[in-house]
Amino acid sequence: MNLLELKGIKKIYQQGQVEVPALRGIDLTIHRGEFTSVVGPSGSGKTTLLNLIGCLDTPTEGKIFFDNREIEKLSKEELALLRRYNLGFIFQEYNLIPVLSAYENVELALRLFDDIKEIEVEKRVKNILEAVGLADFAHHTPGELSGGQQQRVSIARALVKEPKLILADEPTANLDSKTSEEVLEVMVEMNQQLDTTFIFSTHDPLVWDYAQRIITLKDGQIAEEKSS
Amino acid sequence: MKFLSKLAAKNLFRNKLRTLISIVVIAFAVMMVVVLRGFVLGMIDSMFELHIQYNSGHVKVIREKYEQKQRLLSLNYPVKGFENEGIEKMQQQIKELSEIKETIPRIKFGAAVSTKNKLITMMGWGVNPTKEVNFTDIEDYLVAGRMIKEGNKEIAVGTDLLTKLDAQVGDKLTIVYTTSWGSFKGSTVKIVGELDSGFKLLDEKSFYLPLSQAQKMLVLPDQATELLVETNNYRKVAKVMPDLKRLFQSQGVADDYLLKRWDQGNSIIQYLQIGRKIYNLIYIFVILLACLVVINTLLMIVKERRSEIGMLSALGLKSREILILFILEGLVLGVVGSFLGVIGGGIATKILSIVGIDYSAALADMEAELLMRPIFYPQFKMSNLIFSFILGVIVTTITAVIPAKKAADLNPTEALRN
Repeated sequence: MNLLELKGIKKIYQQGQVEVPALRGIDLTIHRGEFTSVVGPSGSGKTTLLNLIGCLDTPTEGKIFFDNREIEKLSKEELALLRRYNLGFIFQEYNLIPVLSAYENVELALRLFDDIKEIEVEKRVKNILEAVGLADFAHHTPGELSGGQQQRVSIARALVKEPKLILADEPTANLDSKTSEEVLEVMVEMNQQLDTTFIFSTHDPLVWDYAQRIITLKDGQIAEEKSS
Repeated sequence: MKFLSKLAAKNLFRNKLRTLISIVVIAFAVMMVVVLRGFVLGMIDSMFELHIQYNSGHVKVIREKYEQKQRLLSLNYPVKGFENEGIEKMQQQIKELSEIKETIPRIKFGAAVSTKNKLITMMGWGVNPTKEVNFTDIEDYLVAGRMIKEGNKEIAVGTDLLTKLDAQVGDKLTIVYTTSWGSFKGSTVKIVGELDSGFKLLDEKSFYLPLSQAQKMLVLPDQATELLVETNNYRKVAKVMPDLKRLFQSQGVADDYLLKRWDQGNSIIQYLQIGRKIYNLIYIFVILLACLVVINTLLMIVKERRSEIGMLSALGLKSREILILFILEGLVLGVVGSFLGVIGGGIATKILSIVGIDYSAALADMEAELLMRPIFYPQFKMSNLIFSFILGVIVTTITAVIPAKKAADLNPTEALRN
């Protein structure tokens, strides 16, 4: 079943008087439960594509349908709610809040939900921290955790709300190969257990091995598409 | 909302020194407001109080024509009751009105004493000693002897005047004056008390004489030059004015008499009332200055946390919630800073309200008519602390909107690119 559909997506950035095209017409369909990797050299448009899919930005041209809803027609507030309930993000820099513990960083995603009970929050945060192997580090702040552990917190934060889609922008870029593998294992496990759809942007060949589908971008266009 | 508050509070611990500086600046500003306001309240209220006690009462009843001549201490236009029945009956009728507590008759007249080589001019206050002691704090100023008693031919004299007269308590003095009939007369009275009030008007020029003696000497039977009315609350004097006016109208003397409220017709009091409003603006300005530091701090925070703001947007926080988060950080700074400021200011005001601030040197050259205490006691009032706290919190929070808006308006993709 289609989760995401992109039709003729173009994105042009205005830098002073100059127009810089980042995406030059992307047509793409993502199915539920897919584990997809978007690869390509720097400047190929990976992050732009992820931002558009993540409803953080709007295309200059073309249409995006998320769960059959046309994103362009949603207000800023509706987009925020769409992200809140349906999307999870994993960032290269982790973007954890340094004054909150691992538990609280994960909890933050659920606290935005309107109708969730205290006991449910506690249960889900504990379960997900255990699932990413951080049960013993729940009360550590990011400064007390290694890079790999921080990225796991970031994964837990994205997964705890059980979103339909998780977008990960270069999730292993700051990690060594051993830790990258551990983190990827966690994500694959979550993909299989929860049937969560994952889309990565990466230039880490290691990630390619884990992906079911690899989309290669070049100069803002899909140059190649492979499925394993 | 609860989680945002928790996050806002925790965020302040990120850069403790910066937070501390912001809090100290707010605390200092709020402390200044508490002390300044305590001082102004103390000064203005003290001046209102003295003006009421020694000049205006809550309402002053005088004859219309006396208004122009009162500086000359004229005896030609006395208050002599409705239909000339005397002030006793008039006082009774006024006291029957609701909210009226007391009536205080006074005769103010000019007198002189001739010493060996000069003539000393004075101002006599013919008063009902009991009522005067109840209405004013005159008895507190007795430094020698006692207060005058009704019926006796005796006076209590201001301390500087006594020095000028080269007399002391127990001495007898012959004073000369002009009666209401215009005849020139002299009377010998005994000095029974010495008053040291700190007010130039009372200390250098005045003496107190029992009302009955003043009426007899000046030929003003059952009359007074002014009749002060005391109500239950001088701030609510406007409430009793219609009843009073109605009484004077019903007696057919509304055109002949003037009913002057304490806060009307006196330029100093009106200046003070305007001053009070201006001071309120100054308080806000003081806190606004401190808020520049808060704005600067929060702007730095927004700049530093751009990618975090992007992450919060990605997480699904609405612009409004990001706005609230940063306003809450300003609010926490405002609450903590204002609280500390109120404590510091409260302690300082409490100490000053006991010790007082000596202004005697500054008042030395001022007009004798200006009733000011030489030592001001700033007022320590809970309401002042609450006012200053709320002002501190509100102004800080409102100014926090500027950086908060900047955070809320950030484009998430640009923020994340940071």
